[in-house]
Amino acid sequence: MFDNFFSLDIPGEVLSSLIVILIIVILSIIIAIQAHFQNPLKKPKGLLHLAEIGVKFFDNFTEELVGQAIPNFGGFIMGVAVYLFLAFIFGLTGLPSPVTYMAVPLSLGLTTFLLIHLVSAKFTKWKYFKRYVDPFPVFLPINLISMWAPLLSLTLRLFGNAVAGWVLLTIVESALRDLSANIFSFMPVVESGIAAGNWNEIFLSPIPTAILHAYFDLFSGLIQTLVFIFLTTIFIGQEIPEELTINTLTNERRN
Amino acid sequence: MNTAMAAAIAILGVMPSALGEGLVCAHVIDGMSRNPEMFSKLRSTMIVACALVETTAIYSLLIAILILFVA
Repeated sequence: MFDNFFSLDIPGEVLSSLIVILIIVILSIIIAIQAHFQNPLKKPKGLLHLAEIGVKFFDNFTEELVGQAIPNFGGFIMGVAVYLFLAFIFGLTGLPSPVTYMAVPLSLGLTTFLLIHLVSAKFTKWKYFKRYVDPFPVFLPINLISMWAPLLSLTLRLFGNAVAGWVLLTIVESALRDLSANIFSFMPVVESGIAAGNWNEIFLSPIPTAILHAYFDLFSGLIQTLVFIFLTTIFIGQEIPEELTINTLTNERRN
Repeated sequence: MNTAMAAAIAILGVMPSALGEGLVCAHVIDGMSRNPEMFSKLRSTMIVACALVETTAIYSLLIAILILFVA
């Protein structure tokens, strides 16, 4: 039954992306069940507490730039951030990280790109097309080219970071493997049995690659996630007319 | 040989990015020494700014990798 499934030509990165999505869905269901049975007068515990901290953080994060103009925008940003961070640190498991496959950052970038234009069309109606002829109609070709800049920069930033980390790690690991094989060349190669393989290759690589993994997957992943959601919020916040965000903010302060 | 030279020229693009990162850090240290209470705020902003500046370096790294392994 599963033979046909695995012979499908799905890249490993897409499968790990599906695993990440599955993890997020399961976590969300657990948190939803916990939140349903939680007594609101008591302190939340464990996973629910973490989720509440996250929701509060992302709501505050989007409040200043987007305000209440788009309902539940913090939820979208939180979803993107959780997916992106988990996708970055998924490389720690040894399976391919989804971000190193061009389609994944491209679809994330496309989501932001579409949202920018949809939000702009929603708030400015027919004046949306004015952005293409912004100062004068002469600028039409320049505007048509520069409208793709956010998509390209968002996509290539994520993809470049992930691929740079992956390439560096692969180079360091293969170099350390060869070095270890040369230093410990007195060790015999086990030909058969359960422990077959070149045992002299494994001594040097674990510690330096662990440090590099911590930098490129954890630190870089966290920073790139922050930058991605920051830029997404700013790009979308730009399209909302100023009076909307300012009005909601002052109203809330009055309350 | 040709592809290696092309990749070497492409990776030269990291140089201005490093200069820009140095400028960011210098100005943040300037701000910190003038106003030490802002330390934590400035630090988090600096990390985001550094990641933004790094982007151009990553573009050239990506192009170099593409030249070496794909083209």
